[in-house]
Amino acid sequence: MHILTLILILCLSAFLQEDPYVRDRERMVRTQIEMRGIKDQVTLSSMKKVQRHLFVPKDLRDNAYDDRPLPIGYGQTISQPFIVAYMTEIIRPDKNSKMLEIGTGSGYQAAVLAEIISDVYTIEIITELSNSSAKRLKELGYKNVYVKNADGYYGWKEHAPFDAIIVTAASEYIPPPLIEQLKDGGRMIIPVGSPFQTQMLMLIEKKDGKVTTKSLMPVMFVPFKRGK
Amino acid sequence: MHIFSITQWYHFAFMVISVALLGFGAAGSFIALFKNRLIANAPWLIPFSMLISGLLQCSAIFLSQLPFARFDSYLIFADYSQFINLIITYLIFFLPFFFGALSIGLSFIIYIDQIGKLYFSNLTGSGLGGIAALILYSIFLPEEISSLISLLPIISALILFPKNYKRIFTVIFTLSIAVSVFFFINPSALKKSEFKSISKTLNLIDAKVVFIKNSPYGLIEVVSSPVLRYSQGLSLAYQKEVPQSKAIFLNGDWFGAIVKANNGKNEFLHYTTTALPYAMKEKESVLILNAGSGIETAQAISYNANRITAVEQNSIIISLMKNEFAEDSDSLYHHKNLTIRNIDSRTFLQADTNKYDLITLPYTNSFGGGVGLYALQEQYLLTVDSFEDMFDHLNSEGVICVSSWIDYPFRNPLKVLSTIVEVLHEKNITEFKNHIAAVKSWGTITFVVKISPLNSEEIMNIRSFCDLLMFDPVILPDLSESERIKYNSMQDEKFFEYIDEILSGHRSRFYEEYDFNIKPADDDQPYFSQFLKWKSLSYLKDVYGIRNAPFLEIGYLLVMITFIQIVIIAFVLIVLPLFKTDLKGNGKLKTLIYFGAIGLGYMFVEIIFIQRFILYFGNIIYAAAAVISSMLICSGVGSYLSSKIKGSKRNLIFICGLILAVLILYKFLLTPVLQSTIGFEFFLKVVIAFFLIAVPSFLMGMPFPIGLKIISAGNKSLVAWAWGINGCSSVVSSILVVVVAVELGFAVVILIAALSYLTAALTNVSLYHSVSNNNLE
Repeated sequence: MHILTLILILCLSAFLQEDPYVRDRERMVRTQIEMRGIKDQVTLSSMKKVQRHLFVPKDLRDNAYDDRPLPIGYGQTISQPFIVAYMTEIIRPDKNSKMLEIGTGSGYQAAVLAEIISDVYTIEIITELSNSSAKRLKELGYKNVYVKNADGYYGWKEHAPFDAIIVTAASEYIPPPLIEQLKDGGRMIIPVGSPFQTQMLMLIEKKDGKVTTKSLMPVMFVPFKRGK
Repeated sequence: MHIFSITQWYHFAFMVISVALLGFGAAGSFIALFKNRLIANAPWLIPFSMLISGLLQCSAIFLSQLPFARFDSYLIFADYSQFINLIITYLIFFLPFFFGALSIGLSFIIYIDQIGKLYFSNLTGSGLGGIAALILYSIFLPEEISSLISLLPIISALILFPKNYKRIFTVIFTLSIAVSVFFFINPSALKKSEFKSISKTLNLIDAKVVFIKNSPYGLIEVVSSPVLRYSQGLSLAYQKEVPQSKAIFLNGDWFGAIVKANNGKNEFLHYTTTALPYAMKEKESVLILNAGSGIETAQAISYNANRITAVEQNSIIISLMKNEFAEDSDSLYHHKNLTIRNIDSRTFLQADTNKYDLITLPYTNSFGGGVGLYALQEQYLLTVDSFEDMFDHLNSEGVICVSSWIDYPFRNPLKVLSTIVEVLHEKNITEFKNHIAAVKSWGTITFVVKISPLNSEEIMNIRSFCDLLMFDPVILPDLSESERIKYNSMQDEKFFEYIDEILSGHRSRFYEEYDFNIKPADDDQPYFSQFLKWKSLSYLKDVYGIRNAPFLEIGYLLVMITFIQIVIIAFVLIVLPLFKTDLKGNGKLKTLIYFGAIGLGYMFVEIIFIQRFILYFGNIIYAAAAVISSMLICSGVGSYLSSKIKGSKRNLIFICGLILAVLILYKFLLTPVLQSTIGFEFFLKVVIAFFLIAVPSFLMGMPFPIGLKIISAGNKSLVAWAWGINGCSSVVSSILVVVVAVELGFAVVILIAALSYLTAALTNVSLYHSVSNNNLE
């Protein structure tokens, strides 16, 4: 009888804890991220852990693990999973890093980073998105993410310098204050382009006070690979 | 059209034109199918249909904004349920045209003996409507205009309503006017796509629209926000604050920023690649084409140019910069060194006789490279012919400067370079590298081209400029590979290979082999931003996936999709029902060919005239209004006079033959005549244009009413059939003409128009015979 009860409790707890999207998430990491060349285990593990479906509008939850960005309102999007993974890997996060994110959006990228590093500072210019993402991240138990509703142009001077800066909103220029707040030897990644258009990811590196850029890869819904 | 340009994108204008014409075509089929019943009820049905048309017209915007109908063109690609909303929107805009056309079509059949006069009124009304639209656009907001013009069908219903229904009608009429007035006073606010530039900008902190004005150019809005800044492609070496600016939007799309002139001390304007020509050598006289809100003008002022000429065709923007927002730009457009010319840049170049040290053009593409949104827009400023004009305006040491965002896959920068190289080739210059300099930042590239070779001082200055601002030279004499990536490297370094291919002797092969169309545009095919090659679609599919291909070249694809949809819908709604009619003999096929051919020919001529007169008048709005209105009015007169011409075989062949001859003459003479008179006084140009348009239009107004008269003598059922076929042909031609112009050029468009009338002339003979035979039967 006791054994039966134990089995029942185990089954029930497994059922209660079951995240209905676990398989979708694992498939997403395997087919959209690993197979496209992301090798950093820390990034992969974080992508497997963060429940992306909780960061998209309810009516789009079934599409949360699709290979594409999704609209989150206010003309903004949650990036394609691969882009989030790619940006995370390229800034080489380690557990002692302090990072700044410009463009919190739904808070998904911040959550992925928060699984890896000690402190994530994130700024969102749209008040409604800032409030909703702060609430969501708090509810999900992320205590190392600090959300601010402000203009990302100025960065977050009080907590500078940062080991890395991720800009998730496309920009026409690279704000000088952000370069200033980047630690020497630090890396910044920024997409150039508009959502739903071709975005070019740029890597900016600061070494001995000298700044260089590298246009990395064009990204849209799937990564670009040369066919010929 | 205007409303869809504002809430979505201008491509939906094609959809509206097609839906309108489809309404006409479907009404023709409906009449053909239910002719007897409709004619029996015509006395009340004609005004009633017109009334319904008016009511649907004034409520169409309101209905299309409701949740079950509202769609977002970008979401269509992410959420397929949006297709249903798109179809509902189609229907909402289809019905007013269907009911209006039902009323007109019935009138044509019942009063066939007066068809010339009726067709005259119809065409003249449409022509005057084109002129009235210009006036209304200047006074009212777009959402108010549709309710205002809905009064016209409602009033026409009042005139036609039979007396025995007067009491009922008085009630209906009063209610209709009340509805129309209600929507005029309380227009539905236009909800723009959340992905439009203005919607995104309005999401910024404290962002608000501070100015709004409708105009024939489109809806102009100015937005302010304390966090709105403008500085395209700013150098990483810039350490100071980027100043705040207001932003101008045209139909919800980014137009330009209002930047403070700051007494010529706007330092950030020196930190972009567009500053390259000033870094090479001091510039005394500068010509700024498509000056817009004045960024390049502010830059020229900041470099102390003594004689600056800014050319901008949008008079509202000039007025804003001179008046309402003069303070925001530090009176930029009142600067003592500046002359502003309110005209199209190409037209200005053809009439101007001055020489300049520098001619600058704005960025060729939007931020991020664009997605082919402008693929179907004629860009006469970016053709080989245009660059040749610019060269003729340069001093011996003068330069042309043109910039672009480095898009991916690489398209815009390559096409800019191929255009420049082609012009140098035309000027018998073969050592291209000695005449072109190109410099890139992390995202932008600026090209400078000279007739005389770059001298050593200029080359040295360009290198210093690059080092100072962390830019890299891409084209320069004696350039090493490492210099090209000193500050800004690229993962895909094939960009440099492509640049070198274009500069090499086998560039034609490269144009053929490259995945996108980067062959230079010319005045015959002025579609600079049309990069899509159909043969490359499978490549795009492989690389990006078919769902994503549209995000690269959405413009042309949207038109092709619309074309396919329209052909299918037109066939189902117009052609198929007509085969159900009880017509006998071979009249159907002849009628189909005859009325199809004249519908296609007319539409093709209309479009070719608009394209040619854009350059002539230097203003797309006035060119379109002048051409459409003149054509319709002159065709109306032709139609009216056709009632006095005997509908004989000889006369029909003679008229179609005359049209054919005029069009062939125009193929060879129109462009030279326009080019040689473009510098004339405006009034004289209007007279010349009217004469050029009037001759063929007058003649083209005749074949339709004469044809209708002939077939009605043989078999009255064919009248509705012909009306439907003509509508169908117009629907398909309105989009087909765009495809032909893009793929084959305007010369072919006019040739096809001529061939259509030849076909009509040949069918005239058969038409006459078949109808006569039917008559005999």
